[in-house]
Order: sequence, then C-alpha cells, then structure tokens
Amino acid sequence: MASTYRPSNSPSRVLLSHHKEAINFSLSHLWQSQLSTWITLAAIAIALSLPASLYLLLQNLKTLTDDKREVPTISLFIKQDITEQQARDRGELLQELAEVDKVVMVPKSEALEDFRKITGFAETLETLDENPLPHVLVVTPHMDLFGEPELDMTKLARKLESYPEIDLVQMDIEWVQRLRGILRIAERAIMLISLLLGLTVLLVIGNTIKLNVESRKEEIDVAKLIGATASYIRRPFIYSGIWYGLFGGILSLVIVHLALYSLVPAVEELARLYGSSFQIGGLGFKMTLYILLASSLLGIIGAWIAVGRHLKSTTLP
Amino acid sequence: MIEFKAVSKQYPTGQLALYNVNLSLQQGEMAFLTGHSGAGKSTLLKLIALLDSPSDGIVTIAGQNTQSINKRKIPAFRRNIGVIFQDHHLLKDRNVFDNIALPLKIEGMRPHDIKRRVRAALDKVDLLKKEKEYPQMLSAGEKQRVGIARAVVNKPSIILADEPTGNLDPDLALDIMHTFKQFNEYGSTVLIASHDHALIKDMKKRIIVLRKVKR
Repeated sequence: MASTYRPSNSPSRVLLSHHKEAINFSLSHLWQSQLSTWITLAAIAIALSLPASLYLLLQNLKTLTDDKREVPTISLFIKQDITEQQARDRGELLQELAEVDKVVMVPKSEALEDFRKITGFAETLETLDENPLPHVLVVTPHMDLFGEPELDMTKLARKLESYPEIDLVQMDIEWVQRLRGILRIAERAIMLISLLLGLTVLLVIGNTIKLNVESRKEEIDVAKLIGATASYIRRPFIYSGIWYGLFGGILSLVIVHLALYSLVPAVEELARLYGSSFQIGGLGFKMTLYILLASSLLGIIGAWIAVGRHLKSTTLP
Repeated sequence: MIEFKAVSKQYPTGQLALYNVNLSLQQGEMAFLTGHSGAGKSTLLKLIALLDSPSDGIVTIAGQNTQSINKRKIPAFRRNIGVIFQDHHLLKDRNVFDNIALPLKIEGMRPHDIKRRVRAALDKVDLLKKEKEYPQMLSAGEKQRVGIARAVVNKPSIILADEPTGNLDPDLALDIMHTFKQFNEYGSTVLIASHDHALIKDMKKRIIVLRKVKR
C-alpha cells in the first residue's frame, strides 16, 4: 500500500504547474514586501536609465549628422597671384567634372563687400592698402554619385587641392566628420558605461535575491527535506530575478521618457533658432524590447548566481 | 527495508556520533529507537533520510546503497520517506493546508487531487477544522500533528520521527503514537526515536537501544 500512489501526471504538466506556482509565489512575495521591492526596483531603474538615456542622446546626435538635405559644399581658396579671370576659368573647368554639381565664383571684391557688411570691420578694412581676401570657388558636389560620402568627399577634396591655382580646400562637411568621430568615441564610452551599470544591476538583483534566500532558509530546508529538487527550490527565486529585471527595466523606460519629454520644448526652441526642423526621437520599439530583454536576462543571471551559491553552501545535499 | 552494516558517523568536528551500528528493519515493521541523548538517534535517522552520509559502513534503504544514489535522484528518493521532527519545521507564512500540501505540490499533483489528499491527511490527525489556520495559532500538539500530516500526505513507504512527543503531555503523546501505529498498519515502515521509555513500552513494539559511544 505504501506506494500505491503513482503520479498520473505527465512531466510537462507537472513542470507547467511548478512554473505557475513559482510565478504566483514570487509575485506575491514581491507584493508582500512592497517598500524593499520599490527600493530595489528604483536602484535597478536608475542604473538602467543612465545608459538608456545616453544611448538616446547619441542616437539623436547621429540623426543630426545624417541630415542628407544639407548638401555639404567645398570652398576653394584661390592663390593670391591668380587673377579673377584665371579663377573663373578654373571654375568652369571644375564644372565639367562628374562629381561636381555646381560651382559658384566669389571674387575677392565681392567677398570684401560681404565682409564689410557682416562684420562692421569697415573702418579697419579702409586702412588696408589692398584686399587681403582671396577669390573663392564654392563647389557643390553631386551627392548622389557618392557611395560613402565621407570617403568620397575627402577624395574629391584631395583632387581639387592638386590644381595649381588652389591654395586651400575647406570642406563644410568637416564639422560633421568631427562630430561623427566624437560620436564614435562616445559610443564606446556608452558601451563601457552600459557594461558597468549592467554589472551593477546584476549585483543589485543578486544581492536582493541572496537576502531573499537567506530569509527563507528555513523554508528551503523544509522543502529539501520533503524531497524538493534543486530546480524546484531555485525556480521562484529565478522568477523573482526576472520580475526585478523586467519591472526595473520598465521603470527605467518611464524615467527616460519623462526626462525626454521634459527636454522636448527646449530642444524645439533651440532647433527653431538654428532654422532646423530637428526633432527628438524616442527609444523605438526595438530598443525598448532590447532593454527589457537585457534587464530580465540580468535578473535571471543575478538570481541564478545568488541561489546557486546558497544551494551549494547548504548542509543538505 | 532499512539496513545498517557496520555504520559509523564522525562529524568534521571530530565528534563520533555513531560507531559500528548494525541494524535491520523489515518492510512494514514499526520500531522505536532509544538511548541517552547524544547516543546518535538523530544522526541515525538523518542517515536514513539521506540528510547525511555515513563516514564508514553501508546504509541500505529499499535494497539500495544510499552512498551510490545519484545526487540528482536524492529528492525523488526522499519523497518516499516522511520525516517528523521534534520542532515540527512548519512554514510560518503558510496555513495548515498549504503546509501539508507542499510535498504534493512538489510532486506536481493536480490541485483537485491535492485538496482530496490534504483533507484525508488532516482527517487522520483529526485537524480538519484547522486547515485555514496558521502555525502560530496552533497548540504544540496540533503543530506536531500538522507535521505528521505533512510527512504522511504523499503516502511514503518509510516514516521517520525524531522525538515526536518531546514537547507534549502524556495523553497527547500516546495519541500521537497511536496515530503512527495506524500508519504502520496501513503498510508504512515506521521508525521513531524517543527517550520516553514508559510510553514506548506501552506500544509493545520492537525497541532498538543505541548505546553512547565510549572513547
């Protein structure tokens, strides 16, 4: 009679009921100790929102540099001993190049006139014997011919530099390139920060779960005594880890978006002043999903490590 | 069902708890384990419940050498053994029903079956009316009976009890011993550690005496 009982349940149904139980149990446990739950969630959310908002900042700066409507121009400063006519001829020849869309000649007299108007240096300029400004050819390249804009622009600039009349080539694109360079560094930095803060989240969750495990030591021992498997004991803690990660992630998204919307009016004002139609972009669906996945995963790993350590340290096999 | 062959147990602290124990318990037998405190009664029960392993000798349970049981199989093995402790080991944050249901939940039984089984176990220990109460609301005897109900709810083939009547007055103690006898009559092998000589004499069952190890 002793073992007339045979579990008539299929293993998958047993597993399902165990998971259901673990989910219910871990959620109710979080709910029971609300204060500590919120504190933990806030710590996780803050740690996650920093890399998320930095990423957002970076993405927005990138869209600024990706602006294809503003076609970059190249300014060619002509050597002082070249006459206006020679410069004009060069301009016409440049016009023939496949890469070039348009060439505009700004003779030195005109440039001086502009300079006078803009800067109010009129009196100072009067004292000069001759016009110090060079003739300038403003070249607008054919953007649609370029595959890799940065590379091809540099190539074109080098080609233009090789003409004898030309003293100096200045690309208006340079600031974009510099910004891109900075952004590349920033991207690395954000990766590093994300890594460190990810580690922080891991530690926070791991430590919280460890405290959970310790406060339920008695229960674990009892469960082991009556034949609970290691995975049965581990499961509710792993789910707790998932909840911490997931809810912390959601909270961090809330923080990031609140911060974002508080910035929108100021940025729009600034963009208007620069005559730009720039708009702040949000995190997007994919990134949101990534953040939540990553934070949940961190929760699983943190919980796994914490429980694993305990299960090993306990006296019961 | 349970067999000890030249079993010794020495703890890492150097304390020798058991020395050269030979013992055999048939399936369906009921026996009492007695001896002075410190004679190793609890240690002996722990070796049967796989809560500890012998430093020397062989412990065989249901024909299986406990040392050779795969670590992953230990939980399943333990489910065949119901253990009752002196300090009941109930979970404070769960009511009587949930405490008793724990072994069944671990087995993954359906809620409907769990209900039936828990009620049956509660009925046997006469606590049907207390299923919604929490351990701290119960008397010492009631807690002990809940512990017993939890140990037997999944119908284990072996029931071990470590001083199950230690905190109880004589009437209650006798009552509990009769409950164990009942489970034995249902077919379980029962081994109870107790130092209450008068009580166990009354039960008219085999008595195993552990003598303190002399050094």
